Amino acid sequence: MRTVIVILLCLCSTQAFSQYYKDYDWEKSPKLHKLSEQDANKSSIAIIEKYIIEYYQSELSDAIRKFETNHSITRVHDEKGIKMHNRVYIPMYNVKDIVSIKARTISPDGKVTLLNKDNIKEVKNVEEYGDFKIFAIEGAQKDSEIEVLYTLEKQYSAFGRQTLQQDYPIKTLEYHFITGDLEGRIKPYNTTGNFEKKTYNDRAGLQLILNDVIPMVEEEYSTADANKSVVAYQCFGQKGVTDSLLWNNVVSNISEGMFPETPNAAVKDLVAEILKGQKEDDFTKAYLIDDYIKKNYTVIDNNNAQLSNIDYILKNKSASDLGIVKVYGHFLTAADVEYLPLITANVYQQKLDPEFFNPNSLREFLIYIPKTGNYITPDRIDYRLSEIPFYILGNNAMYISKKLEFSFYKTALSDPDYSRVVRNMDISFEDELEAATIVQQQEYYGYWSITNRAVLNLAPDQSIKEFEDYLTGSGIEDKVVKSYTTKNKDIAQLEYNKPFIVNSEITSESLLEEAGDSYIFQVGKVIGTQSELYQETKRVNPILMQYPNQYDYEITVTIPDGYEVEGLESLLIKKELLDEEGKQKCKFESNYTLEGNKLTITIQEFYKVSEYDIAEYDEFRNVINAASDFNKAAILMNPKE
Amino acid sequence: MTTSYIKFPYFILFLFASICFAQNDNSEDYQFLERNEHITIQLEKGEFTIVKNIHERAEYITAKKLYFANEMLRFDSFTKLEDIEAITHLPDGKTVEVDYIETKHEFDDGIFYSDQQTKNFTFPAVTKGAITDLKYKEIISDPHFLGLFRFGTFAPTKKAELTIEFPKNIQIGYREFHTENVPVNFTKEETKNSFVYRWSVENVSKFTGEEDSEAALYYLPHIIIHIKNYEENGKTIPVLSNVTDLYSWYASLAKQVDENDLEKVYQIAESIASKHTTDRDKAEAIFNWVQGNITYVAFEDGLGGFIPRGAASVCKNRYGDCKDMANLLYVMLNHVGIPSYRAWIGTRDRPYLYEEVPTPMVDNHMITATVIDNDTIFIDGTDSYVNFGMPSSFTQTKEALIGITPEQFILKKVPKLASEKSKAIVNTSISFEDGRINAKEERLLTGYEKVDFVTGYLYKKKDITEEEFLNTTLALGNNKTKYQNIKVSPVESQYKSLTVSYDLVIENYVKTIGSKTILNLNIDRALSKQKIDVKSRKYTKKIDHQFQKEYTTTFTIPDGYKVTSLPKPITYDGKAYGFAISHEEKDGKVIQHKTIYVNTLRVEKEDFEAWNTFVKKLIKAYKKSIIIEK
Repeated sequence: MRTVIVILLCLCSTQAFSQYYKDYDWEKSPKLHKLSEQDANKSSIAIIEKYIIEYYQSELSDAIRKFETNHSITRVHDEKGIKMHNRVYIPMYNVKDIVSIKARTISPDGKVTLLNKDNIKEVKNVEEYGDFKIFAIEGAQKDSEIEVLYTLEKQYSAFGRQTLQQDYPIKTLEYHFITGDLEGRIKPYNTTGNFEKKTYNDRAGLQLILNDVIPMVEEEYSTADANKSVVAYQCFGQKGVTDSLLWNNVVSNISEGMFPETPNAAVKDLVAEILKGQKEDDFTKAYLIDDYIKKNYTVIDNNNAQLSNIDYILKNKSASDLGIVKVYGHFLTAADVEYLPLITANVYQQKLDPEFFNPNSLREFLIYIPKTGNYITPDRIDYRLSEIPFYILGNNAMYISKKLEFSFYKTALSDPDYSRVVRNMDISFEDELEAATIVQQQEYYGYWSITNRAVLNLAPDQSIKEFEDYLTGSGIEDKVVKSYTTKNKDIAQLEYNKPFIVNSEITSESLLEEAGDSYIFQVGKVIGTQSELYQETKRVNPILMQYPNQYDYEITVTIPDGYEVEGLESLLIKKELLDEEGKQKCKFESNYTLEGNKLTITIQEFYKVSEYDIAEYDEFRNVINAASDFNKAAILMNPKE
Repeated sequence: MTTSYIKFPYFILFLFASICFAQNDNSEDYQFLERNEHITIQLEKGEFTIVKNIHERAEYITAKKLYFANEMLRFDSFTKLEDIEAITHLPDGKTVEVDYIETKHEFDDGIFYSDQQTKNFTFPAVTKGAITDLKYKEIISDPHFLGLFRFGTFAPTKKAELTIEFPKNIQIGYREFHTENVPVNFTKEETKNSFVYRWSVENVSKFTGEEDSEAALYYLPHIIIHIKNYEENGKTIPVLSNVTDLYSWYASLAKQVDENDLEKVYQIAESIASKHTTDRDKAEAIFNWVQGNITYVAFEDGLGGFIPRGAASVCKNRYGDCKDMANLLYVMLNHVGIPSYRAWIGTRDRPYLYEEVPTPMVDNHMITATVIDNDTIFIDGTDSYVNFGMPSSFTQTKEALIGITPEQFILKKVPKLASEKSKAIVNTSISFEDGRINAKEERLLTGYEKVDFVTGYLYKKKDITEEEFLNTTLALGNNKTKYQNIKVSPVESQYKSLTVSYDLVIENYVKTIGSKTILNLNIDRALSKQKIDVKSRKYTKKIDHQFQKEYTTTFTIPDGYKVTSLPKPITYDGKAYGFAISHEEKDGKVIQHKTIYVNTLRVEKEDFEAWNTFVKKLIKAYKKSIIIEK
């Protein structure tokens, strides 16, 4: 996805000192660094990782120049470490000039192998990332140090963003931001470190030094990538550029064509046809328009500038992610539906900061329909007008009104009970107690239904097969599916939150284990494999469930004639997490009743909110793992004496 | 596993890419009305001009999968794409042309740098009922790469046709694969100066991959054609008429390997060898040195993709791809007097024999064959955790083209590793306290059991903790099993076996109901998820390697308890797989002995039921518990 480019005029100011990067170099005769035993046991560790961002305006010219220097020394201890660091990719996006690229390896016996620059390869237009210079590190072996140093002159851009935390540990990380007399601001995120003033060849700058930066841990129920340490910066050639000015600038740049005064004539006719004989509320109108556009337009990610030109788009039915919003603009205006485009970011990638302008976080375009409280996700063929996609939920977004005014809101669900799963099961046993038969009806609401429909309609055959296995009860290895039918499977469902329904019947022998004359019935297994949260180390990230949701299960077991049950206490589980007022934020609770030969088990599990504090982790985990506890529940069926 | 490839001729990649892309297909939302390829070959003064004219028409039956409009055509230094014309025909009769084509590069996990690029575009205005029409020319610069044509593909094909038109002084070879159920209509025509061969098929259904199945080329109906030779001035000049031609071309490329500055390489080889007396030990030490010191990095750049880099440069740079490592081993071993040869080979993804289609389509990999005490040993430096003497798992059963001299070669099959060489010996002692299981377990792994574990342990676990990795890969007990004191012995190729040990705590596993405590000693239920869906499965099931598992599980009967029920012994010996489980009570302990073996690399379709019988019986045996009572 392309970021929004902001164009600013640069006014003149003068500076007279030489650039810092010119004097910066690596050690003439490098030696291996001393490492603690602990560090020497890691596959690899960066001894130093240094970034120097330098903005420079010479006396002779108004133009601001921007230089970026990267310098890293990494110790590699085993094959995995070598593989992680011996291939170097340098992005050439916006690069005006390569000032220098060099690399060397210092072997354990102190021998230095310098990179042969002829071996640097050029790779053009890689996916959406632009050009690259790539090379393999020469002479890297176990216990050697790999050193890479390069300086690039970039096209002037007032903004930048750098992720500091990597997949490997870093002993010392330095970030130098040199702006001289130019006006610059830099903001660190997800780190306790702060920038301090420093002068570089008499030029003003800021530096951040971090020690022992650990790799980010991928944890379940977290936005680990978005929680990595990052810096974002701005540097202007003029004074008094505020964030508000910058946001306004974005609005005027992108809103062009989003609110057409009069919709395209052909679109107008088309809309009349689409809406003919339909209800006239905004939900129906916006839904039908969304469905029509998804079935007739394709969103494309390439460098074709025409893809945001409305005439080209209407002819070719192909658009960029920004261009498609304009198409919606025409259709919705023609249908007289009020709408607000919004820009935001995937919450799993980065959190949008309204306080600090950074064009890099403006990546997702959506459309809000205020009268219904719902959203259109233009670039997702698996979504139709409904709640905001879960990967946006909880992020800040900039909403743009028709008057081209903007406001930031944290995105939220209009219906907090949007996502639910309801399951009813009837379990009986075949003669001789060879096998159990499970007749099941399931209803999936909200995000559950979106995901289920997306897989069943769009995924490869093989994945559909695996998914059907999941829908008929996962983890029952010898299961035989007697019947399986679905209802409301199509992606397009005009009724708000219409459930996706699965009816199935399966039999399994493995659910019944023999123990002498008795049988153990693994009743817990019928709810399918449940995820278990492991935590050996201290939790790093706060908790984010994908979305709030709720499960209501009712399982009825018919005990075979001549048998009585024992061990029902394993069916009683209750775990909960309460808020300050004693209200349940999330819980798992299972109960049972036994009447004659009917055993009825009920389960309710819910997560009313999706965000939990790190301090609540243990209790949250207990609730999550309770389903996995239930998964182990078994009852004993003994012959009546 | 470090799979490596010397050079993917682009057409293969194109096929694979289409299949990957293809996997997005589900039902009949999209179909090919026709897929035609017309190849013309011209020959003037020994110079070939080879042009493929490709024409494809596809129909959007529904609007569900408009993403098929995104087209990607691959090319590299052996091919050029020209005259791309792409048009969408709308249901109302209008047409819209593609007016924007972007050339791109891709990064690939396996290949660091490749000269392969793609032409990308999107058919405009596709919707229900639209028909897309694509025509382009592919200019082939080397007569060895005529390629492959697939009759079936990821979407249903109404009609597919391959024609090849060539002057009468050229001889063409061809061979069809997997067309038994797809009747191919083949005709030969003759014009004044040329022959025209035509293969056509109608109504071919779509093909989609299956879990644990062989590569697509094992079942996709396709044809490989090659130029055998041509006549010029009364002389027959060979191209690829047989394996000898293929080999002499390979040998001519191998001659271009840089053999300068080998002193340093020789020094290393000598210093390693000097520490050993037998050839076998010397070879093993040299192999282990390459395993431990050369990292896999692949470059594919024109014919450079076929010519190994000089041993001196590989040694200095400390990296190389399969052919670089194969050549380095070849140089080092020969230098210390151990006869060794470069060997071309197709990995198990390639179903062909050299004699069937003597073309570069057969292989995608290079290894070294060395002869010690009249024993041919295949060694592969790309799989870092394979022991000396074992072939890499993905080359088992494959035919190697071993270059003896520039003129002489032999074909020899890489053997499959016997199941007793890939063994997991598992010793577990279990006790029962306070309602939970405490266990100590040690796994001694050899062969591919070791290689698989190491690869997973080092690379797959990436973002998960050691405990979670063991919990998801071994899946012992239940998913509440806690793994503590995890110990893993050194993993490098010089170690013949690997020991993994840990302590287990398993909650909610033992059922105590009334006076009875019920315990199932099968905390490891290997293969229980391997049942084949006989009704829907189409293709053979692939097994990566043959193996044996031997378990000894010792349960200490808690004080005051006695065993009241012990499962009866069960043995099953199927066609190439089986198991035996027995329990005995001895000295206050219950000891379970369990062995499982699989002696095949493939379960054929006709053996699905037999395989399922094996798995079902195993699952049933896993269900048997012991009961203890106070």
